[in-house]
Amino acid sequence: MKKSLIAMGLVVSMMLPSVMSAQKVVCKIKGSDTCLPLSQKFAEVYGNKNAGSGISVVGGGSGVGLAALLSGTTDIAQSSRKMKIDEKLKIQETGKAVKEVVIAYDALSVIVNPSNPINKLTREQLEGIFTGKFSNWKQVGGQDLKIIVYSRETSSGTYEFFKENVLKKKNFATNALLMPATGAIVQSVSQTKGAIGYVGLAYVEKDVKALQVSFDGGKNFITPNVENAMSRKYPITRPLFYYFLTSKEAAFKPLINFILSSEGQKIVLAEGYVPLS
Amino acid sequence: MKTKKSTLFTAALLALSLATPALAQENVGTVNYSDVEQLQSDNILAKKLKISGYIQTQFQKADTAGIASFAGGNFDPGIDNRIAVRRGRIKFLYDNENAQAVMQFDITENGLFIKDAYLTVLEPWLNTISLTGGVFDRPFGYEISYSSSARETPERSRIFQTLFPKERDLGGRLTLQAPKTSSWNFLRLDLGLIDGNGTTVETDKYKDFVGHLSATKSSADEKFKWGLGASIYKGGFAYTTANLYTMKKSGAEKGFVLETVKKGDQSLRQYLGLDAQLSYDWALGITQFRGEYLMGTQPGTSSSSSSLIAANVGSVSTASPAGAVTTSNVGKDVYSRPFAGYYAYLIQNILQTPLQAVVKYDVYDPNTMISGNEIGSAVTTGVNTGAADVKYSTLGVGLNYRWSSNVKFMAYYDFVRNETTTNIADAGVGTSTLKNLTKDRKDNVFTFRVQYKF
Repeated sequence: MKKSLIAMGLVVSMMLPSVMSAQKVVCKIKGSDTCLPLSQKFAEVYGNKNAGSGISVVGGGSGVGLAALLSGTTDIAQSSRKMKIDEKLKIQETGKAVKEVVIAYDALSVIVNPSNPINKLTREQLEGIFTGKFSNWKQVGGQDLKIIVYSRETSSGTYEFFKENVLKKKNFATNALLMPATGAIVQSVSQTKGAIGYVGLAYVEKDVKALQVSFDGGKNFITPNVENAMSRKYPITRPLFYYFLTSKEAAFKPLINFILSSEGQKIVLAEGYVPLS
Repeated sequence: MKTKKSTLFTAALLALSLATPALAQENVGTVNYSDVEQLQSDNILAKKLKISGYIQTQFQKADTAGIASFAGGNFDPGIDNRIAVRRGRIKFLYDNENAQAVMQFDITENGLFIKDAYLTVLEPWLNTISLTGGVFDRPFGYEISYSSSARETPERSRIFQTLFPKERDLGGRLTLQAPKTSSWNFLRLDLGLIDGNGTTVETDKYKDFVGHLSATKSSADEKFKWGLGASIYKGGFAYTTANLYTMKKSGAEKGFVLETVKKGDQSLRQYLGLDAQLSYDWALGITQFRGEYLMGTQPGTSSSSSSLIAANVGSVSTASPAGAVTTSNVGKDVYSRPFAGYYAYLIQNILQTPLQAVVKYDVYDPNTMISGNEIGSAVTTGVNTGAADVKYSTLGVGLNYRWSSNVKFMAYYDFVRNETTTNIADAGVGTSTLKNLTKDRKDNVFTFRVQYKF
């Protein structure tokens, strides 16, 4: 009996590592700067829980991540915009297919320097500011101060989303300063009195001030926060995506299951993003 | 003894484990940062030069030996099947921010040919205007500039092969397209001034104008994308004889009537085109539709409506009027025809599999003034029409399997139908051994192709 128990114990102890290794995920995640802090946290927590996992995360913008997926230089593309139909066709041209997973939502926030007395703006005022129609804060009820516009680069999914939904496809002002990363926008706005920019909700910190926005002509101004984003009151809410090849779906399934689990979604909330439900 | 061996083994392991960090430390300590900088610098330089290409090897089976064909060229007499390297392309692109240089060659069993040799400069202030010079795709319509490696069918439509043989020409092109940051980026205008002789040297003083205006847009949910374009071509080569035949109707008769022209004057080559593209991403996979319609006036010869270069119709003596640059004087009379034609593709990417089904239908009517038994009927004044005036339609069905990012398999069948006329029972069309146009000729072609792209 004792021998049997010892044998069983040995078998179980031999099986444990293989069970654990089934959860092991080794991959590269690249793309959206908006998703970056969240993916880094997922990688850290998942790596600590699953020995042998190795998840590297880099930013660069949604376009960069999706291009890397097309060229096979990343395993997962993190994106704050949907994959374009041309990008899907290019993937199919290589005989491959992609899987799309919504990992969380984000409330795109318009930020200004904390010293700026402006607390709220309508979509029309935002359009005027970011397209260069308004160049001084006094034109939107603020101080006599020059407006300095900060934007992300064209490879950014946030850039495309903001242009599509806030500027209604109009051009950014020619003097808008295009920044290579979201962190650079936060830093610049925090250090420049007349600055304005837009970032994912998770990037909003005490050094910058997030504005209330109105998409109904000034009747209702909504604060960008998790509650308003979850209730869809906040008008500039968008999904965040992971894209990967369907041929690698099984390999990444443990990580995706973790992200979509209640534990994963708690991380979403803790990091300042909007959970799926 | 065993204990001694174990002790030795353990000591060796310990020595190794101790040595490894030391080695690692030594490696870290000896990183030569100037080498790293050199590598980075080399990498930046290497990224500027891009080399790409593809090879298409195919087997073809024709209904009948020796047919004239637009599925990769005529079959030689007595031959109804063949294996060939249809295209063997290698392209070198040097991209230095606002200036690019491109050279592309085609290497097959037929020899080595230049496909592209051009430079493009983009102005750095608005990033909107670019200038291209050299040998490049004529900016007309959509199918010409759609790469043969990406195309879902083996060949371009009959109308494009006829009007724009080899797709390229020599000249200059001005392109206007706002940068991606602009909401006007969806519009593109290409204006070209070209020799009109294909990739051969210029033989007359005339330049041809070619232009294409296009627009593309996607829906916000990226489920739907559309494109529209309009094209124009206006030019022509120098007459090498004083005889021009144009189509005229006289009573019930329709035929070519002789007009006298001045040698060295410019013939009329004029096209208009409209193109449209749609892509829709839905449950069954991405569906694509592409179509193009062309019409205009084409100068040809009595036996062909294919685009000519001055060298094809002979050339004008230096002693003759303007336009002449060569010394020989072996002219051919020009036959001017009003033409029309179109093509339509329906492409279905099957779910998210590597399979893709395609149906294509194309029509080319080289002479819209006559049809059926009017073709080849005797006329009392002028010259009879002939085999070069017969309309063709081609229905193609195919299946593509994208095996990997490099390899694609294509199986494709062309059902070719010709307009019939009781007046041409023995038409010598090209090298074809099929000369009877009183019925549909047996000239369908099956193609099986393997493509490797890199």
